[in-house]
Amino acid sequence: MLTKLPVIAALTAQDIVVASEPTWLQQWRQAAWQHVNEGAAPLWRRTDLTAYALADMEFTATASESQLGSAIPDGVVVMPLSQAVREHGDLVKAHLGSAVAFNASKYAALNAATWRDGWFVYVPKNYEASVPLHLLQGFGAGNTLVARNLVVLERGAQLSLIEQYAGDGGPFAVVASELILGDGATLQYTSMQTWGANVHHMGHQVAKVGNDATIVWTAVNTGAAHQHIDAETNLVGNGSRVNWTAATVAGEGQRLLTAPWLRHVGRATEAHMDFKTVVKGSGYATFDGMIKIEGGSTDTVTRLEEHALHLSPQARSDSIPGLKIDTNNVQKAGHASTSGEVDDEQLFYMQARGIPKSDAVHMIVMGFFESVLDRIPLDTLREQVTADIAARI
Amino acid sequence: MELVIKDLHANIGDKEILKGVNLTVTPGTIHAIMGPNGSGKSTLSNTIMGHPSYTVTSGEVWYKGQNVLELPVDERAKLGLFLAFQYPVSIPGVTVANFLRAAVNAHRSVAGKDTRETAIPMAQFRKEIREKMSALGVDDGFARRYLNDGFSGGEKKRVEILQMSMLKPSMAIMDETDSGLDIDALKVVSQGVNTLLGQNPDMGVLVITHYQRLLNYIKPNRVSVMMEGRIVREGGPELALELEERGYDFIREEVFGNAN
Repeated sequence: MLTKLPVIAALTAQDIVVASEPTWLQQWRQAAWQHVNEGAAPLWRRTDLTAYALADMEFTATASESQLGSAIPDGVVVMPLSQAVREHGDLVKAHLGSAVAFNASKYAALNAATWRDGWFVYVPKNYEASVPLHLLQGFGAGNTLVARNLVVLERGAQLSLIEQYAGDGGPFAVVASELILGDGATLQYTSMQTWGANVHHMGHQVAKVGNDATIVWTAVNTGAAHQHIDAETNLVGNGSRVNWTAATVAGEGQRLLTAPWLRHVGRATEAHMDFKTVVKGSGYATFDGMIKIEGGSTDTVTRLEEHALHLSPQARSDSIPGLKIDTNNVQKAGHASTSGEVDDEQLFYMQARGIPKSDAVHMIVMGFFESVLDRIPLDTLREQVTADIAARI
Repeated sequence: MELVIKDLHANIGDKEILKGVNLTVTPGTIHAIMGPNGSGKSTLSNTIMGHPSYTVTSGEVWYKGQNVLELPVDERAKLGLFLAFQYPVSIPGVTVANFLRAAVNAHRSVAGKDTRETAIPMAQFRKEIREKMSALGVDDGFARRYLNDGFSGGEKKRVEILQMSMLKPSMAIMDETDSGLDIDALKVVSQGVNTLLGQNPDMGVLVITHYQRLLNYIKPNRVSVMMEGRIVREGGPELALELEERGYDFIREEVFGNAN
């Protein structure tokens, strides 16, 4: 059966509806579809929207291949999101779209309207998953993958989750992840964009963090030709915390952008962000971040560090950090940023010990990423990613 | 082999710091260079090793039949030169053990041979580093810490000596190793150097220091005095004691006259 796949832009509202789905979801998809057609184009300053043209995207339910890279931890519900709509309808209805709103952007809307694949992960109250869960997303047939993950941790639950995008194909990936942390929950979230070199990755990720809950977020971005990731940690709960690190490598021909938003909403919330970037060849990486401390947030502690290393003169990195404070009661807010070539003094020191310059650069760069890569929970995965990065420097 | 410095001139930017240094360090000797701040002592050690901030405008530094100024920095190290830094930099994310192993293996590497053949066996490396650390009063966990990252002044200097004892240079330059050390740390560090000297009697050591204090523990055979970018006086160990007693001014007057 070889039929030309319809272009997404040519779909009708009727094409969007999945007949077997409940009415609330059909209506939600249609509202999203309306936003795709009528919403304004996003005002992203550094993202080339022609790399994500809707007119180039085909629609098919088979473009995505979800797999599990690990066993399912005992006691944790893991199933395709479409199955969860049937089997855990109330949970899905309660949380779907609560973190990544269908109208967060045209692409968030596109995802909401047309997702067919992705995972539902549910950790019951006070349950501590003993082993990491590895969700692996790859391309199937079709040029556009649209997948959505919904992760819900009930009160006091604990989970280590790895969400990885890997493989060749596409080129378009329009994905969304919603992470809901109940009070006192702890999520170790490792999000990895390790696509093949031709992929155009458009991602939305939002974590909603409850009272005294903690998310330890480790992002690794090394693949794709184009990447736009809107990532948000929303510290809604009192005493909620995030420890957020990222390692990005943009090599020849890559344009990788991360736009992390950090919202301090609850009282006594605490955030540490440490984003590290290496650019090489004609690689271009952008950090377009924002820290927003809302009016009701008191006794806030927030710290942002971002560091970029340039391994070639043509490579570029832009850093556009922003800070908006709508409260008079901030306990601590700090920011540090560096950008430049590998430090001459470090290089000299290592060479003075007999280490050739190229090896010294290599060690310094791997050392630069060490604190991020060290947090990848599965040994084999960590070793693989470390070796991939090492091979590219 | 001797280290022979001939009429060495070096600049930082447009400013000439070394203005014709002549010096010979013979194997098996401890040769101290003393001088007031700003006399060019650290510039001399950094220039010998090849620091990129210093430009050699003329002169030569001969060691083992080569003018080392023509060699890349890592080749100078492989020739047997070692610089114990006054201000060792930190390298976050690189552990002391991994750094040292890379340095040891770089020293063992041979052109045209697979590094896997020449690399030090892991067990041997572990044994050696453990022995040296314990001799320097450094605990085992140290090897897993990031190099100089958050180290105290004393810890940094101990790690310099640890590296020296692992790499076994034939010519060591110690740049103000005593700065920032309390007396206990100074004793440990000096003892480390003396142990190494005991094991390698042909090692030459160039000790650069502002004060006599270090020389109570690392006893020099020769003492040279540096001022305004030149070696202005040479003598035996008694010269260091004389400097301790009388300060640098009497030499300044003898060399440059009583200009004030």
